[in-house]
Amino acid sequence: TVLKKRLVKLVVNFLFYFRTDEAEPIGALLLEHCRITKEEENVFSISFIEEPERKYCFECDSEQQCQEWIEALKRASYEFMRRSLIFYRNEIQKMTGKDPLEQYGISEEARFQLGTHKQ
Amino acid sequence: MKLNERSLVFYATCDSPADNAGFLYKRGERHTAYHRRWFVLKGNMLFYFEERESREPVGVIVLEGCNVELCDSAEGFAFAIRFGGAKSRTYVLAAESQAAMESWVKSLSRASFNYMRLVVRELEKQLEEMRCAPADGCRGCQESPSSWKPKPSRPEQSPEQLPALPAVLPKENGCAVWNNAPGVDRAPDSSGCGRHNGEGNPRPPPLPPRRRASSSEAGSTGAAAAESPSTFCRLHERYSQEVARLRQDWLERQRGPR
Repeated sequence: TVLKKRLVKLVVNFLFYFRTDEAEPIGALLLEHCRITKEEENVFSISFIEEPERKYCFECDSEQQCQEWIEALKRASYEFMRRSLIFYRNEIQKMTGKDPLEQYGISEEARFQLGTHKQ
Repeated sequence: MKLNERSLVFYATCDSPADNAGFLYKRGERHTAYHRRWFVLKGNMLFYFEERESREPVGVIVLEGCNVELCDSAEGFAFAIRFGGAKSRTYVLAAESQAAMESWVKSLSRASFNYMRLVVRELEKQLEEMRCAPADGCRGCQESPSSWKPKPSRPEQSPEQLPALPAVLPKENGCAVWNNAPGVDRAPDSSGCGRHNGEGNPRPPPLPPRRRASSSEAGSTGAAAAESPSTFCRLHERYSQEVARLRQDWLERQRGPR
């Protein structure tokens, strides 16, 4: 496989990639339900749950850069944030007896509920 | 622009929670006729299907940097999703009732990744402040995690494990915001549903103090300074196990009634 140099930009839950001299991205990966894996030195890969054998590989300039990207990408999905929010909410509620989302008026929203989820 | 479409389709149709779903009328791009479509909101993605039973969506709208407004339309119960940028399309949708319209406007206004991130950071900060409260905060941090019993994660549902945060926060993707905000000053929406500040963003929850990537995660109190980085790592590891457990419970509950 040939490695091509790309400018890669993580914006919300999308990973955009550009040719290094172009302003418009040539593609993007939606980062939901994906697995980030450390491969060999300086290399990580992204694969998706519905097609796990297909790996998008990225080679970094250094091991540190590689680790930074892995950490950032693991936290990049909306679903990860949702789980964090539910967890923090539950934790705060256990400690204080109060729902921290009430002050924002969003405590009833289905997407923040622990248990039943309306479809 | 290439996109991992199969992954999008998977996200649209998998078991993960939909934040809203229902029939809406969507105005066509070229012709102003409305078409009834089945809409599914997941995270910051609004998918629409030709029929409720369709196996794949026919389209998706990414809800970053947009404004959601009510609009006048002969159709009634209409609202618009508006993006900045000269080439961006405005999506006009209409619900079938007042209640449905309000529900959609509310959920779409808060669907963005950036909104979610603000809320998460605020809660994270609150929790940190409680954990690092003087006198008994640090004792809490040293509890052994033996009471947490994580269940094995199901690979087919969620390959991602929640990672333990290192002591120094690495560059988050919080620096890059979806830069699609309208450049023009918009008059505040008087309906009350699409509230905006002068920059055209939906009103966020109260902003936490800015967190810089380089600042210490332990906070600024004296008690917090006594916390070692490894304690913090253990704390986050413990939280990740709890989240995995909660998610497992949720998944099992979802399976139950089916």
